[in-house]
Amino acid sequence: MKKIYGIILALIILVIAWNFFGPKKFHSHPEKEFRFVIASEPPTLDWSLATDNVSADILFNLMEGLIQFDSDLNVKPALAERWDISSDGKRYTFHLRSDALWTDGKPILASHFVDGWERLLNPKTASDYAYFLFDVKNAKEYNAGKLTDFDTVGIHAQDDHTLVVDLWHPASYFLKIPFFWVTFPIRKDIIEQFKDAWTDPKNIVTCGPFRLKEWKHDYSVTLEANPSYYGEKPKISTATAYIINEDSTALSLYDTNKVDLIRRIPPLLISHYKNLADYKNSPFLRGYYYGMNVKKKPFTDSRIRKAFSLAIDRSQLSTILQGNQIPTSSWIPKGMFGYDETIGLKFDKEKAQLLLAQAGYPKGEHFPSIKMVYDTRDDNKIIAEFLQSQWKEHLNVTVSIDNQEWKVHLKMLETNPPELWRLGWGADFPDPDNFMNLFTSYSGNNHTQWKNKEYDQLIEEAAKELDSQKRLTLYQKAQHLLTEEDVPIIPLFIDSQNVLLKSYVKGYTLNPMSNNILKNISISKND
Amino acid sequence: MNTLWSDAFKTLSKNKPALLSLFFIIFIILVALFANLLAPYGYEIQNPSQRLMFPNRTFWMGTDILGRDLLSRVIYGSRMSISVGLIVAICSLIVGTLYGSLSGYVGGKIDNLLMRIVDILYTFPSLLLIILIRVIFGQGLFGIFLALTIVGWVDVSRIVRGQVLQLKEMAFIEAARAVGVKNRFIIFKHILPNILGPIIVTLTFEIPAAILSESFLSFIGLGLQPPFSSWGSLANDGFQAFKSFPHLIIFPGFSIFLTVLAFNLLGDGLRDALDPKLKNA
Repeated sequence: MKKIYGIILALIILVIAWNFFGPKKFHSHPEKEFRFVIASEPPTLDWSLATDNVSADILFNLMEGLIQFDSDLNVKPALAERWDISSDGKRYTFHLRSDALWTDGKPILASHFVDGWERLLNPKTASDYAYFLFDVKNAKEYNAGKLTDFDTVGIHAQDDHTLVVDLWHPASYFLKIPFFWVTFPIRKDIIEQFKDAWTDPKNIVTCGPFRLKEWKHDYSVTLEANPSYYGEKPKISTATAYIINEDSTALSLYDTNKVDLIRRIPPLLISHYKNLADYKNSPFLRGYYYGMNVKKKPFTDSRIRKAFSLAIDRSQLSTILQGNQIPTSSWIPKGMFGYDETIGLKFDKEKAQLLLAQAGYPKGEHFPSIKMVYDTRDDNKIIAEFLQSQWKEHLNVTVSIDNQEWKVHLKMLETNPPELWRLGWGADFPDPDNFMNLFTSYSGNNHTQWKNKEYDQLIEEAAKELDSQKRLTLYQKAQHLLTEEDVPIIPLFIDSQNVLLKSYVKGYTLNPMSNNILKNISISKND
Repeated sequence: MNTLWSDAFKTLSKNKPALLSLFFIIFIILVALFANLLAPYGYEIQNPSQRLMFPNRTFWMGTDILGRDLLSRVIYGSRMSISVGLIVAICSLIVGTLYGSLSGYVGGKIDNLLMRIVDILYTFPSLLLIILIRVIFGQGLFGIFLALTIVGWVDVSRIVRGQVLQLKEMAFIEAARAVGVKNRFIIFKHILPNILGPIIVTLTFEIPAAILSESFLSFIGLGLQPPFSSWGSLANDGFQAFKSFPHLIIFPGFSIFLTVLAFNLLGDGLRDALDPKLKNA
């Protein structure tokens, strides 16, 4: 018997020794590989369907739209080399580059855009983002199934390289929309051929600076430089996104030089990393909020919704989070046209208690048991615990907490949102329409079940309005309705970007939309 | 009977680590019982302006990220950890004893069948089983009790069965059976009292095992949901910042460590005292 133990022990020692002294294939870091972290498995890489920023982190490198932004968010040509806007502001003519190719060698045609926009608007696709194109003539009707002939919709390919878009009304922000992933061109033939499997690395056809090399589910997504890209080729050969759900795990990988970039630092540790040269902080057009399901009791009563929003002392959030986040009670974020910090329900304990009493729950007595749900993340947990204690302390209401993985969370919000749920909204393009549009009755991303005709109307009017002063007034009214009168959401704070980036990585820009654009990155380890 | 117990107590009182552990356990149980009187602050009272303080005069164990007093949270945490430990251990003990004694006493095919079921449960990865039960019965306390009990009773049933098998061949049981005493009576009046010693010893080992399992579950995020906290979930909260704020993990960690150690030392002591045959083994 003892011999066997001896042999086993020897084997164990050998294995351990191999791990320490054997070939270090896992630790090598080729000069041209960039490694970063994404917080979850991308729910989808089908850009007509993607709704979240994790998918976007990958998609913005695989694909390109008609236009792109520079680091100051000015519009620059991308697949469209130039464009004309008619004098009434209703017709956009995009002239496409003739040298842009798909990864399978075929040229990019205006009809690929038409196909993409048709797919986005097709009711069968059921894309949450279809409403993005509702400024386009007949697009809303086509999406609702009232029109079945796509030729009636204002999107046409005049020739192979000219795309013409007709709008209902002038829209000052429309030129910024075709930056966004749902407006990217698609290859209908590929999608029809491979069905749901078309986003697999062996099937997908893209046209951005990178192409999809490998997708190990729940582990990593690897991109490689696309040799057929029309623009300047990326200076790195591969970029690997590791799927790591725990911020603290990501951080330890960063500390041990296994990744080059992490874009979230756990609030517990931010004060520790703030002093490093690697640390970068910059503003972010991103709102963090809790939504309420207005179809579920007790949030059917707007007085209770107001009470919940009033009972939070948001000023404490910046102390807790420590990353220059800006507490807010209004919805349009700072740095965007229409930001107004005076709007919204400020902390008022007495008023909150009064409203709760009027709604039939004096001192929180007999309040039904409700649940708040967040997606599993260190900072979300802390904020949830903070809110839980705020409501307990100020309203004497007990809210239980639950958490789930991001993909499950999104699915739940789409099918059956709980009473209270967490979500954030980052700007898809830098215009208030993008933030305010979210809570219209026809927005696929509005999970509150709140439908308000007056609000819809205000948003539609503001979209058309070219006079900025009048537009501002419309948004003020809409924000009043959203965050003071009807209150389907509880805005909490405007996020900030807290990033750790290795000093040998050059050319990574932090734009206020936090677009993870890798094409300009270079790695030089010699300095 | 009396002589056995008083003998056992004498042996135990000579065993200093065990005696010290006993006092420590009594202390912890008192802390858990009177947590609301002992804790300087509420376990959920937040004060962000005093967040992440190191241990000092006002906050003996420091504060966490939301400015909650860690000492109060550790004190209230003992309530959760100890009650999970005791309840799970007692439930496992009841189920395991009944199952084991039935199996051992009846013997034959039934014994064979019952023990194979135990074997299956034993080989089944317990963590997987626990996660499965947690998913079905939700995140509440009940789910934890159930999950840990289902995993815990298996050991007990094996030990009890072994004891019963040994005992049932003894002359006094045979005599009882010859006189026509009912089986149920024999099990409850003759066999169980005689194996009470090993059962108590098992109990003292089951409690720390349950506390550890609960801590582990809470640590990987499958345990209690906030604002309730056990030592395990406190350690989980503190884990990510152990480099910058070590106090957040040291205090709950040491609480788990000391309690589990105390139960184990006491268990050892009790075994020595109640089962003299094993003393020098």
